Amino acid sequence: MSDLTVPVLEVADLAVSFDNSNGGPRIQAVNGVHMTLFPQQTLAVVGESGCGKSVTAMSTMQLIPRPPGRFDRGSILFEGRDICTLSEDEMLSVRGGKIAMIFQEPMTSLNPVYTIGDQLMEAIFLHQKVGPDEARRIALQAMKDVGIKKPEERLAMYPHQFSGGMRQRVMIAMALACRPKVLLADEPTTALDVTIQAQILELLRELQRDRDMGIMLITHNLGVVAENADVVCVMYAGRVVEYANVFELFDEPLHPYTRGLFRSIPMLRDQKHRLVTIRDVTNDAAEFRKIPGVVPWWPDMPAGTKPDLASGRDEHVLVEVRPNRWVGCWRTPELQSRTHRRPSLDFRRGDR
Amino acid sequence: MLSYLLRRLAFMVPTILGITLMVFMLLALAPGGIGAGLAVSGGQMSDTSKVAQMQAYLEDRYGLNDPVIVQYVRWLGRISPVKFGERDLRTPSGERVSPPRAIEDPPLARAFPLPAVPEVVDAPPQGEQLTLEFKKLQREAEGTRREYIGSVRQFRDALADWARAQGPETASRLDAKGSARVSDFEGVSFDPASAGYAKLAEAAATARTKWIAARTAQARAMAAFRAGPYPKSGIPLVPGLVSLDTPDLGVAFSKNRPVADLILTALPVTLLINLIAFPISYLIAVPTGVLASVRRGGWFDVASGFLFLGLYSVPTVLAGVFAIGFLANKQYLGWFPVSGLHDSAAASMTFLPFTDAAGEWHRGYLVDTLWHVALPVLCLVYASFAVLSKQTRASMLDNFNADYVRTAKAKGVPRKDVVLRHVFRNSLLPLITMFVGIFPAMLAGSVVIERIFTVPGMGSLILEAIDLRDREIILANTFMVACVNLLALLLADILYAAADPRVSFNRA
Repeated sequence: MSDLTVPVLEVADLAVSFDNSNGGPRIQAVNGVHMTLFPQQTLAVVGESGCGKSVTAMSTMQLIPRPPGRFDRGSILFEGRDICTLSEDEMLSVRGGKIAMIFQEPMTSLNPVYTIGDQLMEAIFLHQKVGPDEARRIALQAMKDVGIKKPEERLAMYPHQFSGGMRQRVMIAMALACRPKVLLADEPTTALDVTIQAQILELLRELQRDRDMGIMLITHNLGVVAENADVVCVMYAGRVVEYANVFELFDEPLHPYTRGLFRSIPMLRDQKHRLVTIRDVTNDAAEFRKIPGVVPWWPDMPAGTKPDLASGRDEHVLVEVRPNRWVGCWRTPELQSRTHRRPSLDFRRGDR
Repeated sequence: MLSYLLRRLAFMVPTILGITLMVFMLLALAPGGIGAGLAVSGGQMSDTSKVAQMQAYLEDRYGLNDPVIVQYVRWLGRISPVKFGERDLRTPSGERVSPPRAIEDPPLARAFPLPAVPEVVDAPPQGEQLTLEFKKLQREAEGTRREYIGSVRQFRDALADWARAQGPETASRLDAKGSARVSDFEGVSFDPASAGYAKLAEAAATARTKWIAARTAQARAMAAFRAGPYPKSGIPLVPGLVSLDTPDLGVAFSKNRPVADLILTALPVTLLINLIAFPISYLIAVPTGVLASVRRGGWFDVASGFLFLGLYSVPTVLAGVFAIGFLANKQYLGWFPVSGLHDSAAASMTFLPFTDAAGEWHRGYLVDTLWHVALPVLCLVYASFAVLSKQTRASMLDNFNADYVRTAKAKGVPRKDVVLRHVFRNSLLPLITMFVGIFPAMLAGSVVIERIFTVPGMGSLILEAIDLRDREIILANTFMVACVNLLALLLADILYAAADPRVSFNRA
């Protein structure tokens, strides 16, 4: 068993931008993101569409097409090496072998013209030096591991003969066949119905425990976060706005945006005509004065609340406002002089 | 799968019937009707009564006087593989011999009584004698029939003359062109004292003499036919009633040769040119399209797109003329022959090129043929690059953004394999459909190109047939192209099912 206290993946100050096809300024998709993933840990990356969750994951796989994409700064450390500096050839052995990824659309993520077996074994041949018989055995085992019945028959079938949930299981089997250290799950259950969602997540948790795997779970479903995440990283507009373990975050969200997120969840027993929007919360100046000494970062501050900034460096800084609680704040001159610990939580839900 | 195939094949029958009926009707409705080509060939003769007789003979032979729908059904009966009635004979050389046709009675039998027909007594010759004499008997039956048809025509002319001599009341029985339709004179009494009667009676007597001769010859030929000088053609289903046989494409009016022969001479030429041209266009266009899509927006993409679209914009007619004018003309480059498929000395050439003892190089039949088809092939392929490569490129680009390509990349598949194994394999599907769509065009031949380079292929054949209004060739060609088209569509569906596992015939 590997050392669970050593992070498997460290994203530090990552910034990725894209060409603007309309000729305007470059689009800063990710702007100084930090996160740390430990073995056996599920790190949920939460945020609305376009906040940079997927770009962070795709950067980790080096699947951002360049151009139009560009790495502006930062690093992604995996096994002591910065992924951003690896050559394409070196990346080929990492991709799918040590870091695997599953996607949101199980219906279209499998190649329709090859059998499940072909596609599974393609991944195995790429990363393991095995013969056809051994590859088949590994593929069968991978299918069994994800709970597919009669794997021998299923291997010879085509994707269209599978249901959505089954296809996502195949995707997981394919991703995990080479026993990766890190699994990037980009909204793996969004396209599935709720019962299947639960099964898939349960399956991922089991496999994670067996293999000491770190999972980066990208989602915008807070229910999924509450039930599966160990650590939560809330993102907005390419920045991390809050980083905490799941229990503390749900007990007491610190950033106004996070509070807005939770309060916008409709409650069955509430007899309100109109739901609370995130904007209702972030437009309230009082929300930004709740943490002593710092002002939470927000691109669209209510009038009169934006503090004076330190000149020169990035306006945003991730501050550990309480032990093991990080909040994205404005970089005021006081914060400028302090050193800030990067977010890193060696925490799993079983620890509590 | 099998039931699907059978169902598809069964559905082809009504489709082919519809297509051929339409073409037949178009020909029939065209000015001059189906027999226009015959009228043209008949016009070369000077003697008008001979022309009329010739026309009568041809009308009789091809049944051109029957209603169009009857002619169509008769044509269908010929090309249908299911035959009704007496089976044809097949000579050792593969020629098909139909039973001699029955002779109709001469017109106006009540006014001009028929003479007694002598019973045929002589039995058909036996054994080898039969084979030897069969051809002669056939020719005799054909010749006497022809004379008889001619005499009936003369009788009708005499009838018209007589009617005009009787005054306006009788003359009103004539049709608009002033010729006599025999059925309109059925109830008329012919007074032997009337003006012009002698001539009419003479014509009637001639017709009757010829009739007896024709009937006798027909009966003898029939007896010989029944005696079976050659084996019967086809496979019997119900003896004497229904049998299976190969379709009979008929005899071309304009060339007096079986259409099947004409097609068999022209088809290999067209196939030769196309079987060289199509692989070339695919081998150049598809890889170009793939490369262009991989480096989308790069110099190769732009340059190939520009070049191919430019070529596509050059009309084949112009390109063909330029090719002949500059590449083939001896005053310019003179690299290629101007026309034809072989050198005049081709028959005496060896197949492969060789160098003789004197060190002189002989190009041989193979190189000679390739040399001759080079320009037609060039003109056939240059325009196809644009369509094929753009189609490949678009189809590749579609698939580059597909989710399963992202999955493949995430598995760590190298870029080359992503392109070839995942993107290209899926981009093949529309190319299959295109390939099979082009296939029937191969058989029809490129009319323009064959015309420009005087290549005796299918295109030249059909063009000539249309010029001469040769029904048999046009119909046979339409029929063949229709069949090939339908079979190609079926083949496309089968190939598609083989290439795309999502398509299956087993589950209806």
